[in-house]
Amino acid sequence: MSALAFVLIALVIVTGALVTVLAANAVHAALGLVATLIGLAMMYTSLNAHFLAATQVIVYAGAIMVLFLFVIMLLDASQPVTAQNKIPFVNEIAALGAGLLATSIGLIALTWKAPRALATATAHLQDGSPAAVGETLLTKFVFPFEAVSVLLLVAIVGSVVLVRKPVPSVEEAPEGQAVTTGERELGAALLSTPVVERRNS
Amino acid sequence: MVGTEWYVALSGILFAIGMAGVLVRRTAVLMFLSVELMLNAANLALVAFARAWGDLTAHTAVFIVMTLAAAEVAIGLAIIVTIFRKRASTNVDDLAELRG
Repeated sequence: MSALAFVLIALVIVTGALVTVLAANAVHAALGLVATLIGLAMMYTSLNAHFLAATQVIVYAGAIMVLFLFVIMLLDASQPVTAQNKIPFVNEIAALGAGLLATSIGLIALTWKAPRALATATAHLQDGSPAAVGETLLTKFVFPFEAVSVLLLVAIVGSVVLVRKPVPSVEEAPEGQAVTTGERELGAALLSTPVVERRNS
Repeated sequence: MVGTEWYVALSGILFAIGMAGVLVRRTAVLMFLSVELMLNAANLALVAFARAWGDLTAHTAVFIVMTLAAAEVAIGLAIIVTIFRKRASTNVDDLAELRG
């Protein structure tokens, strides 16, 4: 891969990241992140990681970003928060800190003697094909793989429990009154009632 | 072929931008977006080193980081939605205390 292509993709990545951090509208920020993620997928292709490039596009740029955009639009959070930042000079400190960090990592990376690619490296990587990555994952890293699958299951169940509306119980409602629950009581019910009881009621 | 050090430098720039985003943005959703930037910076460095040493271990690490990011986003956004229902705000300054 030529240096020119690297520079062009790096420009896409950095521009997308800057849009993510600086855009006033949250939807624009999310779309900037999509540009960064797709740029990174191109980088992975140039680094002989074809399976990861495909996963990056499908999982990150597809699934995760759809979830983000959905929540931004659901909460109507696209407009910026206009309240004054409570910490003084946080924008200046953040910009300065980020500049220093980027400069120092860049300097270290460019002056430090980076490992030259081994002559056999490309053969070892087998183009980062799904078969090769899957074999490593299911032989050397079975335990992390299983742990991550349990984690995903817990995350799914947890997010469903967190956002589901508790069903108001018919027995507790006054006689002859429609069973409705206001938004405010909903939150209180979520905090005070154990999950098991709510499910049974 | 572009050397490993250029990829690491790009990863550093990306990480710094993400860090600034976490500090500057006041909305919880946008802070999550910045955290994703930082995770991706780490992923880029891992993949670059994987090519330098010809080792697929880093590819599996990146795969696991992606799964963790998906789980984190699912739980984090669920918490944000729950808090928004109760407080009608996602500004992190309003959500500083732990009390319900």
